[in-house]
Amino acid sequence: MTMRVAKRRISKRGVVIAAAAMIAIAGPAFAATTNLVETGSSLLYPLFNLWVPAYTQSHPDVRINTASTGSGTGIAQSIEGIAQFGASDAYLSDMQMKKNPGMLNIPVAISSQMINYNVPGLNDKNLKLDGPVIAGMYDGQVRYWDDAQIKALNPGLPLPHKEIVPIHRADGSGDTFMFSQFLSFSDKAWQTKTGYGTSVSWPSVPSAIGATGNPGMVTAMKNSPYSIAYVGVSFKSETDKAGFGEALLKNRAGNFVKLDEKTVPAAAAAMVPKTPKDERISMIFAPGANSYPIINYEYVIVKNKQASPETAKVMRDFLTWAVSEKGGNSMSYLKQVNFLPLPASARALTMKQIAEIQ
Amino acid sequence: MRHAGGPFRIFVALFAAVIPLSIGALIAFLFYNAWPAIHFNGWRFLTESSWNLGNQYGDAVTVRGAEVMPGASFGILFLIVGTLASSLIALLLAVPIGLGAAVFLAEAVPARLRQPASMLVELLASVPSVVFGLWGYVVLIPFASKHVYPVLAKVLGFIPFFAPPTRDGYGLLTASIVLALMVVPLITANMREAIMTTPRALREAGLATGATRFEVMRHIVLPRLRLPLVGVSTLALGRALGETMAVLMVSGNAINILPHRIYSSISTMAAFMVSQLDSALQDPSGMAVNSITEIGLILLLISMLVNGVARLLVSRISTL
Repeated sequence: MTMRVAKRRISKRGVVIAAAAMIAIAGPAFAATTNLVETGSSLLYPLFNLWVPAYTQSHPDVRINTASTGSGTGIAQSIEGIAQFGASDAYLSDMQMKKNPGMLNIPVAISSQMINYNVPGLNDKNLKLDGPVIAGMYDGQVRYWDDAQIKALNPGLPLPHKEIVPIHRADGSGDTFMFSQFLSFSDKAWQTKTGYGTSVSWPSVPSAIGATGNPGMVTAMKNSPYSIAYVGVSFKSETDKAGFGEALLKNRAGNFVKLDEKTVPAAAAAMVPKTPKDERISMIFAPGANSYPIINYEYVIVKNKQASPETAKVMRDFLTWAVSEKGGNSMSYLKQVNFLPLPASARALTMKQIAEIQ
Repeated sequence: MRHAGGPFRIFVALFAAVIPLSIGALIAFLFYNAWPAIHFNGWRFLTESSWNLGNQYGDAVTVRGAEVMPGASFGILFLIVGTLASSLIALLLAVPIGLGAAVFLAEAVPARLRQPASMLVELLASVPSVVFGLWGYVVLIPFASKHVYPVLAKVLGFIPFFAPPTRDGYGLLTASIVLALMVVPLITANMREAIMTTPRALREAGLATGATRFEVMRHIVLPRLRLPLVGVSTLALGRALGETMAVLMVSGNAINILPHRIYSSISTMAAFMVSQLDSALQDPSGMAVNSITEIGLILLLISMLVNGVARLLVSRISTL
């Protein structure tokens, strides 16, 4: 009996000693590891998932946890300090900046958005559309694909008399922000009635559908012939695979342009010189003959005061790598999600902002 | 038997107190966070379909004493309608199926298969709702929108609520079907038990008069089950009202639209809270999150009411 008790005591002590030894061995390694949290935009998420494994491989002392939750969560959690990096497709509003003056809006790449449609028979034709007509589809003024306004933009095309199914995001979304901004900037009526934001009060259209996330938009479009939808460019391989049509959009100069590797940089080039120091700017409906009208900066929202100087340094290092041409902004990463690198002048502003993280 | 001693009693009482305390704390938390919204929205919250966060990039304005974004208004009538409509249609579909299955399990299945068959039903009740949602999303929507709803519209099209267009499959009817499948096992399991409680003497008396088994079921067993059936249905209603993921995946997530047809897109209170939380978090005035909390409060109150009534009715099964 006493033997057994003694044995148990020893074995207990043995466990404690072993545990202490393990902590002692692992201790220094743990202390040097910095754990960071990234959360937010589902559009930026695939890019972070390319960046983080590549970066942490060469920096084994850094761990970054990524999550696709939505821009609103990214903004809220970076303000509260739960996440160090809040990924967002939209910059903070003036009022949010007033309430949280320490927040930085750091662009890390340039993204864009397609207007896709699923009109059997016309999906290989690249329909021409402009802001007011698309606004009409989403507010119920343009109900059928053979509407006079669509016909006027696409003479000669056999447009069917079928009801248009406008698909919008039901969740809060940077894509909705970009899309509603495009409609607001190109159509006065939309601006006064609906306006723009990551979620807007969609006008009541009986045929309208709300879908969740970009994958939901693609699925809804697949299931709904005669639909139209806005989809983030990182999902271009999915929309191409599904065989959807991609609209040519009328830009500010009045030309119809397709989203490609020339029209997106053209729009960025037109807007970058206008970018203010804090880099909060909309690049939607940019001037320029060849500018694609729906592009934006993808932001990482960061607090300028971090918990410790060490954390701040790790964050600065990571972001510096992320926006450098040889690092995260090289096409080997960006091409996979169809983003474009920051132009040089924007990168200079971004580097200044990164230096403010302390 | 000796009573439990003092310290032990206090210890156990503390544990027991956790439950009422957490419910109280939950309601207090919801009230506290929803209070600015309750004050700002008033009764419009329940009578209008006007969910609009306002211009998020404008400057806040003061309306009815609260700081909100310009154009903000929060009316959830469409959610209340969507929630009630989808749950009630689900019950209409589920009650006959559930009751039929219960009768079958209790009466028609050979004795040695009864146990495994009942277990299967109870197993079905434990399938996570997101799995039902996924099935609805991947299988039901494409199939029903192509093969079922058009036929339904043709046959019942003379009723305006069933008239075409049947659209793409997301909406009220699909959400109701998914909800119905989720609550059928609940109804079956509980009703089977209720049928089993029918005293053997009553059945034997019935059979002795020369009634068939069907007649015994029809005239002796089922009439006794009216009250339990109401109770179990109410329990199922409670489950359907609060279901989130499955509805989110198949409802079409309509905002500010009341369903005109059984195929229309809808949204429910629970699903809406999930789908809109992210946008609400961006509202610098905070009113959007307060209003979502108010939805949560109302959903909680409705669920507690429904479940309370159900428990009351179900508990009377045994006293019959």
